[in-house]
Amino acid sequence: MAGVLFECRDLTKAFGGVPVLKGISLAMDAGTVTALAGENGAGKSTMMKIASGQLRADRGEVLIEGQPLAHGDAHAAHRQGVAIVPQELASIMEMKVYENLFIGRELRSRAGILDRRAMVRRAAEQLAVFGVDIDPQAPMRSLSVGLRQLVEIAKSSSGGARVLMLDEPTSAISDREVERLYAVVDTLRKQGVAMLYTTHKMEEIRAIADRIVVLRDGGLVMDQPLTKVRDDDIVQAMIGRELEDLFPEVRPPGDEVGLEVAGLQVEGYGAPVDLTVRKGEIVGLAGLVGAGRTELLEAVFGVRRSSAGTVRVAGRAVRRNAPADSITRGMALVPEDRKGAGAVLTMNVLDNGSLPRLSSFTLGGWLRQRARGRVVKDAMSSVRLRSRGLGQSVGTLSGGNQQKVVLARWLTGHVDVLLLDEPTRGVDVGARSEIYRIITDLAASGMAVVMASSDMPEVLSLSHRAFVMRGGALVAELDRRQLSAPDVQETVFRLAAGLDSSRSPGAGADLVPTTSSPTEKDAR
Amino acid sequence: MTSQTTPQRNTAVESTGPTSTDRFSMAWFRDQLIRHAMVVVMLLIIAYFSYRSARFSTPDNLQTIAVAAAPFALIALGQTLVILTGGIDLSVGSIIALSAMSAAATVKGHPERLWLCVLVAMVVGLAAGSINGFLVAKVNVPPFIATLGMLTTASGLAYVIGHGAPINGLPTDFGKIANNQILGLQIPVVVMIVGIIAFALMMTRTSYGMRIYAVGGNPVAAQIAGVKTGRVLFSVYALSGLLAGLSGVMLASRVISGPPNLGEGYELDAIAAVVIGGASLLGGRGSVWGTALGLLLIQTLNNGLDILVVPAYWQSVIKGVLIVAAVAVDVWSARRRV
Ligand SMILES: Nc1ncnc2c1ncn2[C@@H]1O[C@H](COP(=O)(O)OP(=O)(O)OP(=O)(O)O)[C@@H](O)[C@H]1O
Ligand SMILES: [Mg+2]
Repeated sequence: MAGVLFECRDLTKAFGGVPVLKGISLAMDAGTVTALAGENGAGKSTMMKIASGQLRADRGEVLIEGQPLAHGDAHAAHRQGVAIVPQELASIMEMKVYENLFIGRELRSRAGILDRRAMVRRAAEQLAVFGVDIDPQAPMRSLSVGLRQLVEIAKSSSGGARVLMLDEPTSAISDREVERLYAVVDTLRKQGVAMLYTTHKMEEIRAIADRIVVLRDGGLVMDQPLTKVRDDDIVQAMIGRELEDLFPEVRPPGDEVGLEVAGLQVEGYGAPVDLTVRKGEIVGLAGLVGAGRTELLEAVFGVRRSSAGTVRVAGRAVRRNAPADSITRGMALVPEDRKGAGAVLTMNVLDNGSLPRLSSFTLGGWLRQRARGRVVKDAMSSVRLRSRGLGQSVGTLSGGNQQKVVLARWLTGHVDVLLLDEPTRGVDVGARSEIYRIITDLAASGMAVVMASSDMPEVLSLSHRAFVMRGGALVAELDRRQLSAPDVQETVFRLAAGLDSSRSPGAGADLVPTTSSPTEKDAR
Repeated sequence: MTSQTTPQRNTAVESTGPTSTDRFSMAWFRDQLIRHAMVVVMLLIIAYFSYRSARFSTPDNLQTIAVAAAPFALIALGQTLVILTGGIDLSVGSIIALSAMSAAATVKGHPERLWLCVLVAMVVGLAAGSINGFLVAKVNVPPFIATLGMLTTASGLAYVIGHGAPINGLPTDFGKIANNQILGLQIPVVVMIVGIIAFALMMTRTSYGMRIYAVGGNPVAAQIAGVKTGRVLFSVYALSGLLAGLSGVMLASRVISGPPNLGEGYELDAIAAVVIGGASLLGGRGSVWGTALGLLLIQTLNNGLDILVVPAYWQSVIKGVLIVAAVAVDVWSARRRV
């Protein structure tokens, strides 16, 4: 099955005069997986878009089995067997899951009429490979980002593609689903598909790839078989310097209460939630996709309806279901879905940066341009945003840089309670360590931080305390000591999946056992 | 070939923009042409009309264009805001009729108090717009449906006020509103110029303008950022109604009567002006200056074709084709810019 299946030669691309790709050449054999790594904005997505015909290169060519790809023609690329799972998903929300899966290659009965029954059946089979429980008849809109991602992957991988581009396919899915993705990738590899796989996670590169290619500032700086390089080499190639520790030291929390949630009844979920976070404390929320972490954070902030309960920030009650009041009281939410809920992609960095605290930048309704520019610029530099300036529209920033904008825009004013939902999704290692540093610094300065994350090491290393969520309820609490136990990952997973009810009495959805967790026994 | 020396990174936010094309080079010139395709189209049309008719570019004719444009300008401004939020307001034409009739009826009753009829027209417009806003923002009726309902309702009410006939025999003083001059310009023209400048400033320099862009660009994100999306939505429809009311009284004053079919179909020209100006019907993209340019294009076309005595039905055909062509050129040039 060997032989070069995919090749690009001297790909060059500039946006508005700024070079993004500077002559990239790369060849991939059939039945191999090549990891594509690089900082946010290095040009990874741009390269994949060119390779799949969505964008036109300024110079250079793409060859599929020696046949040149028609320039900037996604249809032709598709016919030649190139498929892509884009970083920012393009699902059709108004349609059903199976319709999304079969759009463009609908199954028809002999009479030429849509054979919905067959499509539903085939869809169920394709999704079964991932072992998740997705109803093919469910509307796409009703799925979480993670599940939508899985549907997209199923769609591209089942269409008979010979070259598959996966642009950060795991950024929105939890560890368990990642395992399934690995299995799918392996199957495709055996079938002789050549895959280019973008990720920011080292474990993934190790687990899945045969070869590593690193882009930095639009140039190709590393192309090695994976066995020949160490992790540190890869990181250094990516960021052009050595990285100190990924996780900063976590400083002890204060004593005063920063956030107090009592009996908060999130609409659509069974149990009311109690949660207290001290100033300076980072509380992690772990759980599987669909455990209700996002919903809880949204309800605390007020963008999702809650029907009962109280939320207090530094002792003062916040009106429920009123995000504007939450902001005035010092709450900030960094949502999980940056494209759908985080940034306004049509607006530029400056406007996005000033949106949450507009009134602090205005005098009688008029924007104070100079002050606004200065403050937003400071906030954006504090996360090392890479942009062409404050005037660049956020839609044209790389994915990771969009995330930085969504976080940094809160830093233009005072924050008491920081609610983070997957804060480093799709963020490169360099920037991630930066964001971790920012989070711990913010906590040390007295913020109460709640962080929902599917990235285990992140929860384990940054949290003072962590809760495991299932079915909208906090089912277990782990303290710092329990979080550093050697088999804590396993424990959290069992709790999250609800496998532990025998060992942890009362860990049902309606009870909140606190320290009676099984890790006591497992800790040394 | 692990890693070489760190190349120049554009880390900071302040890194500068494109530098590849030198100023005033051939490439720069071409770039500018593409970038401002709409302005180029506009200039070509003006050049053509000036070439065909000596009367076209006289100051008198410019004034004529401006006077004709004014009532459209007001509703196009309102429409710009509505479209920026991702909505549409089909009812402005009918609101013009309703407020014109209300103004005419008021003048008939109180001929000595001119300001009263202006006030009534604006209040009527504001009320109709507020109903639209309430339906869209609070009841979640799709804008298309809500304003379509208002289109029919307001038009019906306009006929009710006149008992099915125009209101005639109004005092000649009523004509002052449209025909008196300030600094040598007729009042509607002054209102138009002030309105365009004020709205352009509002959309770029105030927090209200920014909220409108945010709601249109991504309502969920806007909400999380603390924008009261419902209020913003309500306000743009209310404002659009108010401006239609003002437009209505100016139009009625120009003809010194209250025809119940006044403003019929105006909403389409207003929408066309906004879209020609580069706004996206999906919301979040567009500008007041763009709308002004679009408006100018349509009005110039109307006027120029009139001067060349092109028959009305042919005018309609030419206008339709040119509107689509103008937007197509703009879309093409936007793509080239990437
Ligand atoms: N349509 C566009 N217009 C202008 N600039 C663009 C456009 N698309 C991408 N860019 C710029 O090109 C650069 C590379 O972007 P790209 O999306 O390829 O990065 P990436 O390596 O995929 O990053 P990430 O890891 O964050 O996804 C970025 O600096 C981005 O701002
Ligand atoms: Mg990318």
